[in-house]
Amino acid sequence: MEVFLQQLVNGITLGGVYALVALGYTMVYGIIQLINFAHGEIFAAGGYMGVILISWMVAQGYPPFVCLGVALVLAMGYCALLAMAVEKLVYKPLRSSSRLSVLLSALGMSIFLQNGLMLTQGVYDRAYPGEMVRGGFEIGGAMVSYMQIVIVGITVVLLVGLNTLVFKTRVGKAMRATAQDKTMSALVGINASRIISMTFAIGAALACAAGIMVGMYYGSVRYDMGFVLGVKAFSAAVLGGIGNITGAMLGGLIIGMIEVFAAGYISSEYKDVFAFIILIGVLYFMPTGIMGENVDDTRV
Amino acid sequence: MKRALYFLSLLLLVSFVAVGCGGEKKEEKKAEAPKATGIKIGSLSPLTGQYAADGNDIKNGVLAAIEVMNPEMGALGPVTLQAEDTSCDPRQAVAAANKLISEKVTAVIGAYCSSATIPAAEPLMAAKIFMITPASTNEKVTESGHKYMYRTCGRDDDQSKAAVKFTQEYLKAKTIYLVDDKTTYSQGLADNVEKLASAAGLKVLGHEHVNQGDKDFSAVLTKVKAAKPDVFYVSLQNSAAAAPMLIQIARMGIKTKILAQDAVYHPQLMELAKKDAEGVFLTFGYTDKETASYKKFADAYKKLGEPGAYSAYAYDSAVAYLKAVKAAGSTDPEKVKAELMKLDFAGASKQIKYKENGDSGSNYVIQVVKDGKFDNFWNPETGQLYKK
Repeated sequence: MEVFLQQLVNGITLGGVYALVALGYTMVYGIIQLINFAHGEIFAAGGYMGVILISWMVAQGYPPFVCLGVALVLAMGYCALLAMAVEKLVYKPLRSSSRLSVLLSALGMSIFLQNGLMLTQGVYDRAYPGEMVRGGFEIGGAMVSYMQIVIVGITVVLLVGLNTLVFKTRVGKAMRATAQDKTMSALVGINASRIISMTFAIGAALACAAGIMVGMYYGSVRYDMGFVLGVKAFSAAVLGGIGNITGAMLGGLIIGMIEVFAAGYISSEYKDVFAFIILIGVLYFMPTGIMGENVDDTRV
Repeated sequence: MKRALYFLSLLLLVSFVAVGCGGEKKEEKKAEAPKATGIKIGSLSPLTGQYAADGNDIKNGVLAAIEVMNPEMGALGPVTLQAEDTSCDPRQAVAAANKLISEKVTAVIGAYCSSATIPAAEPLMAAKIFMITPASTNEKVTESGHKYMYRTCGRDDDQSKAAVKFTQEYLKAKTIYLVDDKTTYSQGLADNVEKLASAAGLKVLGHEHVNQGDKDFSAVLTKVKAAKPDVFYVSLQNSAAAAPMLIQIARMGIKTKILAQDAVYHPQLMELAKKDAEGVFLTFGYTDKETASYKKFADAYKKLGEPGAYSAYAYDSAVAYLKAVKAAGSTDPEKVKAELMKLDFAGASKQIKYKENGDSGSNYVIQVVKDGKFDNFWNPETGQLYKK
């Protein structure tokens, strides 16, 4: 029971982070049917931007929560602009060419960004300043750290915010319309280029927040941290049904849970294997993922 | 307007590359372009990827040795270095070794991971090139009967003996829990410790394996917390992997004594884990930092940054080879080998004297992290604490 509770807490933390990154994959896929391989690198860039900003502000003596808040906002803004720049320069000129060429340029972009990080930030792990959020409490034998609460809290706020944006606002409606039919939505006066740009920006901002939280949680960031997490988040998006926002959140949570429970009850050596076995199993019976549908009206 | 927008995006992409303010700048000090004459030595170590910090220590140690030895080499010199990257990957290590062979190096210092050293040795031995490893502690490294294989650091069978002795005699532990990350080195060492510990009457409560590069150890630590062992033996491939584990151990409120090994010994451990690294014990070769030979090394190393765990061993390996070449008056493998066996000098890390099988003996002691620094703690030979 103790192990179960503890793993539940850990699983929610991990799953939330996967969900945040998975959303970027799913939204971009929903709107231009592109698997944006560079998304994992945006996540890593966010982690680095966070460490640079937080270290600087902690050194200036600001209180931890101010540092975290300001760093989150600034880094998310930076990542959003970065993703928009990538989209403008690399994906947009190829929009009318075959999907394969865009896919390849996404792979190239991923390598470019990862090596850019390596060259500028060095090959070493970079430490987050300690003492940000320390301590925790125990429920039923399970240790819950305040850091986990902060992470889950931020994740929930971001997910609710995204849901509101997509399903309750005019911009969200325009995004959904563009995802359904680009030509038709353009005919009714929606600027598709702007909407696509915005989708990239939102996905990147979420990944960036995830990057900062992962950095704080594990205490350090490295230039190649986006790769493994990117693969897992992408699997989460596929599991949930790529293109579907609710599906990505659900997929992230499921992958996170499978990982920690497989590690807790079966073997930590093979936790990734179990996550991927479940993925293959689900895709075998539901080829479009858990929430994926063939009709296109829940896509963004 | 459109032009301006494109320009702005371009600027952002460039800024991404330039945002490295405060990034580590101690990188890369390229060796001069190799000349046709002189002695060319190679180094094999992970220069990229997760073990890059340790790999660069080795490269820099060799660079420092070249700087010290170059004036002494006379007509044989100058000595140049060709540094190759293994990424700690067996396949890449073999490719890098083959590249060094085609570059006509006469000796290779490396590699770091035992799992890279063992396969890379095959082509090097066939080409009669010396391989002196400063850091690969797995027993198998010198047990294949290779003629030109040498090792400057200690061996894992000795290291595990020191670890178990400390666990039993000093910590007086009854139970132990082990974790490793499945490399030739880390798992080999953990298996040794497990065997010796159960033979010595300790109860092994569990032995878990994690994956290389994992950062989330919550599952393993939950089990450790429930098992309540007296000692938790952490055998991970480097300090960057151990740091998040220590952070999570502290976060989960696990109070067990932690014993780690030589790969975790690196200043990076305290940089990453900070306060959570305090009180961790680890086994590492004894080095006296007050000797003249260590100070000579530290001087030469100064401009390359802070010496890492195996910098001094890499330095000694390269110095040993160059001393042997100097004595032999040529780089002919047979002559150099004869001279290498005669060597007996005070190196930066320890007294360097190679045995018939290429080993140079182990001198493992227990160190502890205290006030953000590694400190000699307990001597397994005498069973005594080091005096302050």
